[in-house]
Amino acid sequence: MAIATATVADAESGETDTPTSRFAWLRAFRRPWTLAGVVIVAVFCVLAIIGPWIAPYDPSAVSKQTLAPPSPEHWLGTTQTGQDVLSQMLYGTQISLLVGVGAAIVATVLSVIVGLAAGYLGGLSDELLSLLANVFLVIPALPLTVILASYLPKSGSLGIILVISITGWAWGARVLRAQTLSLRKRDFVEAARATGERTSSIIFRDIFPNQIAVIAASFLGTVTGAILTQASLAFLGLTNVTEWSWGTILYWALVSSAMLTGAWWWFVPAGLAIALLGTGLSLVNFGIDEFINPRLRQAGIGTRKAQKAQARAQRAKIVRRPARGRGERAAHRPFDPATSDVILRVENLHVDYIGESSVTPAVNDVSLALRRGEVLGIAGESGSGKSTLAYAITRLHKPPAQITSGRMLYTNPDGSVTDILAMGDSDLRDFRWEELSIVFQSAMHALNPVLTVGAQIDDVLRAHRPGMSQAARAARVVELLGLVGIQTDRVNAYPHELSGGMRQRAMIAVGLALDPEIIVMDEPTTALDVVIQRQIIEKIIELKDRLGFAVVFITHDLSLLIELSDTIAVMYAGRVVELADASEFYRNPRHPYSQGLLASFPTLSGPKRELAGIPGSPPDLRRLPAGCAFAERCPLAFDRCHEVVPELLKLSGPAEWRQAEAACLLYEGDGTAPDRPAQDGRDAVEMEDAR
Amino acid sequence: MRVLLRRAVFYLITAWAAISLNFLLPRIMPGSPADALIAKFHGKLSPQAIEALRVLFGQSDASLWQQYLDYWKNLFSGNFGISYAYYPTPVADVLASSIGWTLVLITVCTVLGFVIGTGLGMIVGWKRGSWLDGLIPVTTLLSSIPYFWFAICVVLIFSIVLHWFPLSGGYSVTETIGWNIGFIGSATYYAILPALTIVVASIGGWLIGMRNMMVTTLSEDYVRLAEAKGLSKRRVMVTYAARNAILPSFSSFAMSLGFVVGGSIVTEVVFNYPGIGTVLFKAAQAQDYPLMQGIFLVITITVLIANMLADLMYVFLDPRTRES
Repeated sequence: MAIATATVADAESGETDTPTSRFAWLRAFRRPWTLAGVVIVAVFCVLAIIGPWIAPYDPSAVSKQTLAPPSPEHWLGTTQTGQDVLSQMLYGTQISLLVGVGAAIVATVLSVIVGLAAGYLGGLSDELLSLLANVFLVIPALPLTVILASYLPKSGSLGIILVISITGWAWGARVLRAQTLSLRKRDFVEAARATGERTSSIIFRDIFPNQIAVIAASFLGTVTGAILTQASLAFLGLTNVTEWSWGTILYWALVSSAMLTGAWWWFVPAGLAIALLGTGLSLVNFGIDEFINPRLRQAGIGTRKAQKAQARAQRAKIVRRPARGRGERAAHRPFDPATSDVILRVENLHVDYIGESSVTPAVNDVSLALRRGEVLGIAGESGSGKSTLAYAITRLHKPPAQITSGRMLYTNPDGSVTDILAMGDSDLRDFRWEELSIVFQSAMHALNPVLTVGAQIDDVLRAHRPGMSQAARAARVVELLGLVGIQTDRVNAYPHELSGGMRQRAMIAVGLALDPEIIVMDEPTTALDVVIQRQIIEKIIELKDRLGFAVVFITHDLSLLIELSDTIAVMYAGRVVELADASEFYRNPRHPYSQGLLASFPTLSGPKRELAGIPGSPPDLRRLPAGCAFAERCPLAFDRCHEVVPELLKLSGPAEWRQAEAACLLYEGDGTAPDRPAQDGRDAVEMEDAR
Repeated sequence: MRVLLRRAVFYLITAWAAISLNFLLPRIMPGSPADALIAKFHGKLSPQAIEALRVLFGQSDASLWQQYLDYWKNLFSGNFGISYAYYPTPVADVLASSIGWTLVLITVCTVLGFVIGTGLGMIVGWKRGSWLDGLIPVTTLLSSIPYFWFAICVVLIFSIVLHWFPLSGGYSVTETIGWNIGFIGSATYYAILPALTIVVASIGGWLIGMRNMMVTTLSEDYVRLAEAKGLSKRRVMVTYAARNAILPSFSSFAMSLGFVVGGSIVTEVVFNYPGIGTVLFKAAQAQDYPLMQGIFLVITITVLIANMLADLMYVFLDPRTRES
């Protein structure tokens, strides 16, 4: 149980799922195991209170029935002197729980004071308090408690409580300090400080309530530890041995050689009670842990359901796939919308997130085509499903995300077509990186911190090119790093030793390792500053022109996308709402949402215009409106928009247009809009006023 | 290497704190341990022994500072006083004859428990959401069991009922202690049950800790990227996920080790194992303060050394700590 709490310290990284209510943690009790834990603990608490009243005998009263096995008179048998074990157990529950809870209260109060003070005050007081806590953590607790207890000869429970608290506070203090440190930097605490609130009131009004879950976890852990320690001390005869506790029962059983006489009923119940109560407390703690650390929770939710569904979906698919040998790739030609053939076709793709009580359709009936050498830009606000789409293309989704239906047809170099969703594990492993690689948003998180950059390229080569010699691999690693502009002496650098831009270059080098046909780039430059961003983009364009891979480029930076892409797909609420040639899209966006997006970006060239945002915010995906998801925010919406979900329609227009498509009822019928809406942003502003 | 230097300084401070605590405790606790002991051994103690006792436990005529200095002088000359439970053997001799047993037993058990528990935790975490998650409540129960109680049950089953293993002790009395095959074989045979107890009881904690860290690590981008790279499952699990998930085990090693050491010490009592735990039990029974203090110091120093080794491992495993 000691180590299980280690994850608490990591909770600060789990900010992805901030609880909306202060009582959200109560939801944890819905998990069956957590509930089982609560029931176990409750039963013991009740027994501790009523134990002495319901005990059938005086626990110390001797009788002539010595060492009697369990019988109707003595449910748990008797001891060597004829004492009733059940009565001893019932009395013992009271003392054991009293010491456990008492010590945990004292220790928790100590750890809260030290942890909050150290974390909030910082500086020298933090150094000293942390040092104190660490010293107490490293000194082995049991020998210290033994010594302390032996100086308080035959002391009662109060002495034992104090002794245990002295050694039990340090862990909680350390965890709370880490939590406070991270909370202190959060906006609401900064805001409170800026408004000149008093330190004590910030600590107790803003920080303390946010740590209730952590404090509860640390409290329950300490209860378990204290009960175990009390049992150990009592077992060693260091407590008052005439005061009945579970440990005292075990002490008398040992000194009376109960195991030699085979009197298992004498010592089995006490140990089981300790183990059972400890288990109950730990189970409650796991519930709290999962609340604090959303990643643990996600591992449980919907997992089985999603995995089954995925397996089913796989079986149902037909594998159209000739034996694949990786032939030489045709020399690349620059992308030409008229002649380049389609390399990846996504058809009617659906991705859902299975929640505790709801299903969130993150990607909803998306169809796209990517041609050889093309740069397909996918734009959209956060939550529009663009990253989910990227993960779906690479089949990297983990439960609770689930691809519910659709096809993703990949054209192999030999011209055969494979459904990526139908691939088995080993086919998928071969396909990955060989044909399609991915560059993540944050290279900081996407590179393994304990492997060198070189090793992370080398292992791809080793997995996919088993015949390649070590020297050849090393040469290729150097070549790849050179390609993205990293000095070759950085082969053995670890990711943390590189700058942000260098890390992103290294990521791209990893992505190029096997010379893939497609590279999916999920916001590869978002985390970088503008100058570095520019360098990376130029590098990507240069490499694409040289190596001829196709790119799926995902970003919310529309101006970047227009510059970089051949084709642009705009996503809103999980659907593609517009698909068009990049330059055409820039000149003449068709969907009202695209118009709004473009109106909210400044341009360097082109006429001056007023900037305008899009009023409102994206819809809740779990409760999508009946009609068009954008209707609520759309300046041009009419009645039917709230009823009909618009299909992606091919638009008619000048002959040089290519595949402009929009999902908007304005273009229903002949594919031309009744009147071309203005895009200078004034409309949006007027709309906002009208609202 | 600055990290290691910092840690070394920290351990020196901790050692100093533990030793000073040892000095202060008998002087600030109510009652007088020295008087209690002198009364107990009335007439049996030589004047020198009484003087030594006063130096150790206070009430000497010297000032507190002078007592503190004398205390340190005694420590460095290996003079921990006379044991009263093993009267008149010096504490240092009692420690010397018992520490080896405990050191071997706990080292082997900690390593085994850590390797098995972490290994299983890696697999259970990797297969999260499968039937293996059902193991968690079972291991929780296992890890909540008091070591010494588990030991009693093990003795009852394997020694008393089945007669597979000896009941108690550290080696057969027919063997002579030394580096001979008979003795080593006998000591191993006698150590199996205590070791089994400690390993089984300590696996659960490591397992659950590692499982939770695995689950947390598995949602990291670098694990996803490793999968996207088409690496073998084994490599993704070991080199990408587990290799990172194991790091917190080393940084919280101190706490876990304290737990295992505490449990093992009490376990020895059940087996009447000739290690330091059994000695501590006898010392506690006899209120043998010099011996208890000696044991506390020895255990603390040993645990500090073990922690330094864990820190070394950590630096070895995590390149981020290796800077400058």
